[in-house]
Amino acid sequence: MHNYPRWPIHAALILVSLVMLVPFYWVFKTSITGENIFVYPPSLIPVDPQPFFYVDAWYAIPFPYFFMNSVIVAVMVIAANLVINAAAGFALTKEFAGKRWIVLLFLACMMIPFHATIVPAYLVTSHLGLLNTHLGLALPAFSHIICIFLFKASFDAIPPSLIQAAKIDGVPEWQIMFRILLPLARPAVAANVILSFIWSWNDFLWPLIIIRDVEMQTLPLGLSTFLAYFEDTTGSLYAFCVMVLAPGLLVFLLAQRQFIEGLTSGARKG
Amino acid sequence: MGWILNRVTVTFALIAAVVIGWNLYVVRHDDGILEGRVVDQAGAPVAGAHVVLNEQTLVSLAPIAETKTDAQGRFTFERHDRHALVLTAGKDGVGASGRIEVRLYFRNQNRVMSEPIALGADRPA
Amino acid sequence: MPVETASRVARTTTGRGGLLARKRHRELLLIWLLLTPALLIFLAYRILPLLWNGVLSFQFWSPTKPAEWAGLFHYEEMFVYDDVFWTSLYNTFLYMLTAPISIGIAVVLALMVNSRIRGRGVYRTIIFLSYPLMVVAVGIIWRWLYDERVGLINYLLRQAGLIDEPIAFLESYGTALPSVIAAAIWQITGFFMIILLTGLQNIPPSLYEAASIDGASRWSQFWRITLPLLRPSIFICFVIAIIASFTSFDLIYVMTGGGPGHATELLITYIYKAAFTLSQFDYAGALTIVMFVLFVGIALLGNLLAGGDAGKVDIAE
Repeated sequence: MHNYPRWPIHAALILVSLVMLVPFYWVFKTSITGENIFVYPPSLIPVDPQPFFYVDAWYAIPFPYFFMNSVIVAVMVIAANLVINAAAGFALTKEFAGKRWIVLLFLACMMIPFHATIVPAYLVTSHLGLLNTHLGLALPAFSHIICIFLFKASFDAIPPSLIQAAKIDGVPEWQIMFRILLPLARPAVAANVILSFIWSWNDFLWPLIIIRDVEMQTLPLGLSTFLAYFEDTTGSLYAFCVMVLAPGLLVFLLAQRQFIEGLTSGARKG
Repeated sequence: MGWILNRVTVTFALIAAVVIGWNLYVVRHDDGILEGRVVDQAGAPVAGAHVVLNEQTLVSLAPIAETKTDAQGRFTFERHDRHALVLTAGKDGVGASGRIEVRLYFRNQNRVMSEPIALGADRPA
Repeated sequence: MPVETASRVARTTTGRGGLLARKRHRELLLIWLLLTPALLIFLAYRILPLLWNGVLSFQFWSPTKPAEWAGLFHYEEMFVYDDVFWTSLYNTFLYMLTAPISIGIAVVLALMVNSRIRGRGVYRTIIFLSYPLMVVAVGIIWRWLYDERVGLINYLLRQAGLIDEPIAFLESYGTALPSVIAAAIWQITGFFMIILLTGLQNIPPSLYEAASIDGASRWSQFWRITLPLLRPSIFICFVIAIIASFTSFDLIYVMTGGGPGHATELLITYIYKAAFTLSQFDYAGALTIVMFVLFVGIALLGNLLAGGDAGKVDIAE
């Protein structure tokens, strides 16, 4: 490799990093700023930092409800995805009549974006009597086709001799799944958890359609409702915005490598 | 993997500790007692001044309680159940105060006002 | 637990065939039981809705009225009379401009964070950071940056002397859509960078060594080696960006609500409005069918341009 000057790269990357970070900073600054947020020119650093926008936001909205709804739905979605996708992925590693058709069906379903189904999906959920419930929120996201294929691929990569050996050792067939296959398919499990978490945690359109009660709203829906009521007139909006972003950001920073791997493997298969 | 588990548990344990600690503090300090003093321009306590406690909502100001100061110019409000307050005080012949903002960190937080409320002669009661 | 049920069911079946045949029978039962939950979900939330959309689009229907045959009424309405439909279609195509712009930026960024410089891990994290975040919150952040009176962008532009009067980015016809697209690019570019970075790291270094020995310049190495070998990764990014132009509901809803007028209306926001604010489920069904056909058409076209089954082969085999 040739030697080349490094500073232009650093300069460019620092500039890009600024562009990426300043929006976060700006909203955070607004949320802790003591002055009127509509004073021009805006100050670049917070004036008399204080947490009262957060206090206002906390009492203006049932934040614990929003948070718990988001958590409940995310947990349901993650659990269902693990069970259903691992099962389906495992089934697809076997040979059986009609397998070709099932795979084709899955691939065809992949071509139907969820957004292209919202009207009848709403009607289906309404017929099931699940409007305005946690299960109704979670049900359409119970299985992601990409994750089924991720599971299939990692099950396929496990040498059959290993399973044979386990069978000879007398491990019951249904235990093979939990004792041998899932531990060996850990990257697929991680990707599955991450992808279903992100999709359920950030989902907005579906809750917007089927949720009626304030107590049933998830975080993104609560945030948009708050925006609809108060427009941009109060710093509490930005405090709420920070409160909504914080959990996701925390999870991302804690499991950054898994996030990046999960998202890229999801994209590569999609 | 153990390292990650560790980091995750540590983070969540910290968060849990902060939340529990904060709630303990809140439980012990949420009687909603708001204490203060009213003085005139010279700094002498004003007895019998009319003090009004207003709630500051996102859009408006609404009176929720009122009281009179005692001989030492002291006043106390209890169980106001709010977190954003505005105090106004006044007395005939002495004058009125401006709006004094009292922001609490949680509802019913006990607070003793460090600065007395000064009544100005220039403002009519 | 489907697995348990499967084995219990299988145990109670007493077949007459040989041991092997019974075992095979049991296995087949297990396979189908394992597939059932996933199939049910997709049946209820993909296949059935798609067919239902099709039926709806040929009916007069609302939750309070019995269905009536409408023929091509909705399609005629849409294609001949509905200007908003054409606007939203046009905007959806404009929104696809996100793809070339963000992929262009992402290629440059991927090359930079792939070079051997200090702190590249930090740069990668920072640039990727915006992607996994909640789009609704991102929309609110950008609304605030674009704010006409005290927004940071107007402030910086005025300080730099580029403009005299503040621009109402999200409230003017000319600037609303580009402003939203800029926010979308901001959010997605980091993700593309990571995808392209993985692609870059899969290029064998020996290729570059050979090229250096042949005296090829870095510039021509980029065009002859890097770019061609990055093609599959770039294709993936394109697919994601195209899908996003059909599904970017959250950003539009929060930032502009489709306005001003219908200047930022996309097909998906128009479908939402038709169905859930105007209660025209039948018309929304017809709109959805058009969107779906368009989506599949573009996907097939893309696949054709990418030279057949790119990206799909490894799953389908």
